[in-house]
Amino acid sequence: MNAHQTATQILAGALMIDASAVPPDARLGRIEQWDSLAHARLLLALEEKLGRQLSTDEAVAIESLDDIASLLAR
Amino acid sequence: MSALSRPISLQSERFIIRTLTPNDISERWCGWSGDPEIMAPLNMQPRRSTRESLAKYVSQQDNDRTYLIGIFAKAMGQHVGFYQIDINKLHRNAGFNVIIGDKHYWGKNVVNETRAALLTEFFERRGVEKAWGQPLARNFPMIFNYKQQGWKLEGILRSQCLSVVDGSRIDQYQFGMLRDEWRALSQGASQ
Repeated sequence: MNAHQTATQILAGALMIDASAVPPDARLGRIEQWDSLAHARLLLALEEKLGRQLSTDEAVAIESLDDIASLLAR
Repeated sequence: MSALSRPISLQSERFIIRTLTPNDISERWCGWSGDPEIMAPLNMQPRRSTRESLAKYVSQQDNDRTYLIGIFAKAMGQHVGFYQIDINKLHRNAGFNVIIGDKHYWGKNVVNETRAALLTEFFERRGVEKAWGQPLARNFPMIFNYKQQGWKLEGILRSQCLSVVDGSRIDQYQFGMLRDEWRALSQGASQ
């Protein structure tokens, strides 16, 4: 599974929707289910996946599926 | 009460947004500050308020430089949260703080719906030219709210606060919204 696919899975889990329902250009504010609680779930899931806390810069920079994939690919 | 006192009375689609008074003090409101889940994102030790402490808090607001504003659901009339807004009249800016105490309303866009009404009120009718907020770095829902509403991230206040949990130093964000930016966003949203 590449970083984009993993990002899609993590985002889908946070939004509590099927991965097939996550558009490739998904971004904060454009998906109804991406609300404040889903955003918190997303960042906590990313921390679990990475095995560390997100830095303050990283946490505030995540706005889209591409941002998540970039973070995972580092 | 100051002669300059101008209480707030607004409505959004789902909420009544108005200045809190001693009559609004309830066991429900007293309980919010004792709930660790509500207080953790604010880096505050949970400690239940008393009716007396809330009465003192309410009485300290002058509705000119400091505002304590309740959020009430139109549907059932219940108190779901509140804003503390502090005005710097010299520099015409407003610091926004908000707590949604009723957890049934978390993730329901309460903050951005009600804050939109307040931004318009303070920018257009109360002489404010800049609004700002300083969520703690681990307050992920609030970061979402600021970004979704179009506030600009102005900086990171590194190691600004001491954690009440473990004494470590924690970062805080500085978000800002200028009056002209809000006007442009509001105009865009209405088109």
